[in-house]
Amino acid sequence: MSFFVGLLLFVVVVGILDAKLPWPRPRDGERRS
Amino acid sequence: MIAGHFGLAAGVKAHRPAVPLWALMLATQWLDVVFVPLFLTHVERIDVIGGEPAGYGNGIIHADYTHSLVGAVVLSLVFALPAAWRWGRRAATVLGAIVFSHWLLDLLVHRHDMPLLPGAPAGTPLFGFGLWRWPLAAGTAELALVLWGSVAYLRAAVAAARAHDPARIRRARIAAGAVLISGLLTLGLSIAGL
Repeated sequence: MSFFVGLLLFVVVVGILDAKLPWPRPRDGERRS
Repeated sequence: MIAGHFGLAAGVKAHRPAVPLWALMLATQWLDVVFVPLFLTHVERIDVIGGEPAGYGNGIIHADYTHSLVGAVVLSLVFALPAAWRWGRRAATVLGAIVFSHWLLDLLVHRHDMPLLPGAPAGTPLFGFGLWRWPLAAGTAELALVLWGSVAYLRAAVAAARAHDPARIRRARIAAGAVLISGLLTLGLSIAGL
């Protein structure tokens, strides 16, 4: 159960909270070809 | 180990902020995510030491495909390739490394049950340093990872908010609090054998 609870909390709940923060985006600074 | 993997991923987010946290969290458990259907179909199994009920770390885990060294490398690539397409090579490299970190952390706690090759062919070596034989030490190591990850994430999230949008500093603290509470809850359930 701890595995599924952890997955739900970290991937979904924390993931949603984190997505609202002003982090750089994955491709920032990456040279486009 | 469950909570410790999440703690590590939170700490890595602090150092690689461009990688989405949800993807880091999924990556850090990817081996176990793939383990679930194989467990349900009896391809992989857990033998509880001393019989039921299962407790914290008292199992020999025959995850001979997902938790073999070669299997972990393959699963890292399986995760990293679509990530490269979606987020670029740098993020994919981080995510692939996080997937493989699961094998390395499990190596510390597993009881000599992690094979080199998928299927654990007879005569091939098994790995695992067996920290689970000392549940207090294993639990403390997981707690340390959760605390380190939470503090590192808090500092990075508040710094990012302060630099780009100070109005979101409170949100950053809430997110970090959620990381800590989720880690402690997951660890607590795990130690309780749930």
